[in-house]
Amino acid sequence: MTPFLQITGIAKQYGPVMAVKDVNLTVDHGEFMTFLGPSGSGKSTTLYILAGFEQPTRGDILLNGKTILDTPSHKRNIGMVFQRYTLFPHLSVGENIAFPLKVRGWSKAAITERVRQMLSLVRLEGFEDRKPVAMSGGQQQRVALARALAYDPPVLLMDEPLSALDKKLREEIQHEIRRIHQQTEVTILYVTHDQEEALRLSDRIAVFSKGVIDQIGTGQQLYNDPSTRFVAEFIGDSNFIDTDVVSVNGRFARLALANGAVIDGVPTHGTDFRQGRASLLLRPERIDLRLGKSEGVLPGAVREITFLGNHVQVSVDTQLAAPVDVRLPFGHAALGGLAPGLDVSLDFKIAETHAFQLEDRVPAS
Amino acid sequence: MLLNFNSLGIWKWALLTITVLTAAFLLMPILFIAALSFGSSQWLIFPPPSWTLKWYGALLSDPRWLEAAWTSFRIALIVTFFSVLIGLVASFGLVRGRFMGRSTLRALFMTPMILPVVVLAVALYAFFLRIGLNGTTTGFVIAHLIVALPFSILALTGALEGFDKSIEDAAVLCGASPLRAKLQITLPCISHGLFSAAIFSFLTSWDEVVLAIFMASPTLQTLPVKIWATLRQDLTPVIAAASTLLIIVTVLLMLIAAAVKKGLKA
Repeated sequence: MTPFLQITGIAKQYGPVMAVKDVNLTVDHGEFMTFLGPSGSGKSTTLYILAGFEQPTRGDILLNGKTILDTPSHKRNIGMVFQRYTLFPHLSVGENIAFPLKVRGWSKAAITERVRQMLSLVRLEGFEDRKPVAMSGGQQQRVALARALAYDPPVLLMDEPLSALDKKLREEIQHEIRRIHQQTEVTILYVTHDQEEALRLSDRIAVFSKGVIDQIGTGQQLYNDPSTRFVAEFIGDSNFIDTDVVSVNGRFARLALANGAVIDGVPTHGTDFRQGRASLLLRPERIDLRLGKSEGVLPGAVREITFLGNHVQVSVDTQLAAPVDVRLPFGHAALGGLAPGLDVSLDFKIAETHAFQLEDRVPAS
Repeated sequence: MLLNFNSLGIWKWALLTITVLTAAFLLMPILFIAALSFGSSQWLIFPPPSWTLKWYGALLSDPRWLEAAWTSFRIALIVTFFSVLIGLVASFGLVRGRFMGRSTLRALFMTPMILPVVVLAVALYAFFLRIGLNGTTTGFVIAHLIVALPFSILALTGALEGFDKSIEDAAVLCGASPLRAKLQITLPCISHGLFSAAIFSFLTSWDEVVLAIFMASPTLQTLPVKIWATLRQDLTPVIAAASTLLIIVTVLLMLIAAAVKKGLKA
């Protein structure tokens, strides 16, 4: 069976700069796929290539097995919601939603009916005659969503549509987007640099870094099984500890910490540790803390305690180079007697750690 | 505010006086000529001994004056049309284009604003003499277009720079061809720029006299040229009346421009 949407070997070069190096991706029909990455990682450029505003230097994009690259933007029948507010300011909300339908030559009655449907989809009934300037940012983006979905596009592109909104409103509209996705079953490609937004919305996430996709997977897969140090850093919080590689056995490594402790069975994803050094990932929320000195792997002393609402962040000085952050849930047994300077010991499950190369990749020249 | 007008005390009156004097200095010649056009003295005596409308009667019954006014209006309209059209296309290139020498080109387009007009006039005169455009409407239009275009480009590049291209992109993804998106979405969004470009282009041509003197022929004269030519022969209050009409049209257009600007903001 041909995949619904297939991106193969896409690259985009601007002068001497490779904005996108080699992006490969398959998206299923009705899937919510998020491109997550820092600015300049190539996620937006990939989206703009999909929209047809940029031509790729190499590679192909297939929709239902047919290339879309030789179709101009206005004939691709793709919907898009932009980062900035792009409602046509001289037209009313209703006329904005009607615009793509008028272009397609729909009858007046069909347009009226469709506009009504779309306004009810984004829960803005009665706003038909409003001008965009008389609406809040959140409302404008909802109208933009209605306009982009009015003509039933097979694919909807969203380029950080909520970045201009404040946090509370953002969460509200994230729910709306999720609901609309389930209701319409449209395939969505969503660009964001906000990991929480990505986790909240997506079926799968593609993590972009320096023009390539580092890893594609569900939020849980990326969190539990990051394939690169970059992904581990970008999804969730992390401590990285420099270690010496004692030996590698298949997909597991035996590592020696700077305090002399040796741990065995650290998952490596088959990484090749050329320099004999490795970076060990410890998730702050996967470390357990006990009061008092013990024979545990990581003895240390409390450096700082930070109360953060539903959890407490404890920074612990160990014999390692940098302090290790531990996140304890509210009500954790050790919290009662915790104070800076106290001896503690840290414990973690080796299966939940990961070893990466010290530097993921040689920095782009 | 650093300087509050109401807390200035005695200086308030000094400031007011200076402002009134400056305004008077700027407006006096215009008011003077307007007053003379209604004066009964045929020697332009000020203050006029009594008031009359007969100079306007003479003006409006003289086909030569009417023809000059019509010529001015017609040329200004054609200049406006081409100035906005060419200015629009040029502005798209200057704002959206990514090519070498873009900023140089932009500066080049502004040169007619700072170049001495008489130099341009002599150059055009010599050139048009060779290709036979002197004394023709085409010659007039080309000459005035050169001085009107910088205003048009200035207004339109400003408007286009203030317009978020994502809006046009959104229209294209909605299915509108790039041309349709520009016509139906971009142009209405920059209508204030189009309007400023049109008004300034019209006015530039409407009251331009230096180029017009060089381009004019005995059968093809604009209003400013007619005023100037009549002035050389005799001093009649009809000139004051013609000047006043010229000013009224200008002021009217400026008022419309201001009203539109205000309407767009509200």
